[in-house]
Amino acid sequence: MTEQEFSQFYKNNINKVFRFIYLRVDKIEIAEDLTAQAFLKCWQKASLRGVPQKRDDVAISNPTAFVYQVARNQIIDFYRQKNKKPLSLEELKEKGIDLPQKSFISQIELSFEMENLKKALQRIKPAYSEVIIWHYVDDLSTKEIAQILDKNENNVRVLLHRALEILKKELNKKV
Amino acid sequence: MTEKELLEQLNELKSIKPNQNWASWLLSNILSQSSSVIASEAKQSQKPKIHLVSFSFLHHYQKALVSAALVVLFISTFALAQTSLPGNLLYPVKTLTQNAKIALAPKDYKPVVRMQITKARLEDMAKITDQEQVIALMSQNIQKDLEAIPQELKNIQKKQKTLDISKQVQTEAKDLNNMIARTQLQSQDKEALEKTTQDTQAQVLALIIDTTEEINQCPGFLQDKLANLQKYFTENIQIVAQWSPDEITQIRTFLADISNDIKAGNCLEAMEKIESINQILQIHSLDIKVETSTPTP
Repeated sequence: MTEQEFSQFYKNNINKVFRFIYLRVDKIEIAEDLTAQAFLKCWQKASLRGVPQKRDDVAISNPTAFVYQVARNQIIDFYRQKNKKPLSLEELKEKGIDLPQKSFISQIELSFEMENLKKALQRIKPAYSEVIIWHYVDDLSTKEIAQILDKNENNVRVLLHRALEILKKELNKKV
Repeated sequence: MTEKELLEQLNELKSIKPNQNWASWLLSNILSQSSSVIASEAKQSQKPKIHLVSFSFLHHYQKALVSAALVVLFISTFALAQTSLPGNLLYPVKTLTQNAKIALAPKDYKPVVRMQITKARLEDMAKITDQEQVIALMSQNIQKDLEAIPQELKNIQKKQKTLDISKQVQTEAKDLNNMIARTQLQSQDKEALEKTTQDTQAQVLALIIDTTEEINQCPGFLQDKLANLQKYFTENIQIVAQWSPDEITQIRTFLADISNDIKAGNCLEAMEKIESINQILQIHSLDIKVETSTPTP
């Protein structure tokens, strides 16, 4: 993948990936850090195509699925390490991302109903919230979700149906 | 809430977007900074990787291994020291081992062990000829050992044992004398050693003669001892009355047995019992022995 191709891929997906991560971790700074790491990994992998790397290195056939897989793993790692220590910007710097020269004032304002929905998504099982966000918020097809989760499309459809029911129950319970 | 309403709300979540300045910064940052990291990683990946055998498991057994290594070192040092000669770095270890053998030997056999070790030291000394200072020092030590032997023989309590051990020491002393004669030591050293050995032999021989005489003259000698003991107990009846009943009974039994042994000619048994009575008297802090406290008839 060339720089131009990656830039285009980045522009197409940055909002989606950030949104996916933000809805799962509920903190803008953390979402930004994890998003940065996901795209950095993706670029490292994509740009090194053809250069001998680690044994498990293979060319990225589906960059979108790859970046979501990385993001998903980052979230899992984040929750695993959450009780140990917070993710620091120094660690991010060590991984190749420099600290921003100026601070970005990131703010996301949601209506009361949206905030409720976001919290409900965080309360249900991650497997359900993931597919809901991917399909209904990020507009990924069941085929793309199947590639991310390494499952067949039927399984994804069943999962989506069940996830939606669970989310509906969760929202009704609170209302 | 209906499914339609839910889907509408989910659709509204699309409004969530990152700060666009941050997003632009991130893209430029990834493209610029990752290139150096990528280049170094690519360079590293082309180098052949050699996986060394891991010895990390050793850390788990660190204490045990250190202890084992020390034990092995200790044993091997002692083993090597046994073949060393005077002047060698390990010879002091050998001397230390020999001294320990003497110190740990049973009291009655100490003179024999000392004589055997003296012989071994003489053998070592005979193997070196060019170290005068070492030879002089060893010669002094050997002489000291020889001088200590007669006193150690006198310290043996049982007469028969004294006689047996003295005879063994005398045999060893003869061997030692022959060994000294065969050595290539300087005449001065040789003479000094021969003189000390002969002195020791003479003292041991005197001890053998005295002890043999004591044993051979058993009846008359023991009769005197028995008479002295009986006299002592009669004269000091008030002191003896303060002893425990068991001890008084034991003394009476010993005295009766001694009398019977003398009559039966079992002089060695009689002597042992007299010495047992003496030990009881010593326990009661009666330092003055019967022989000296009472006039010899």
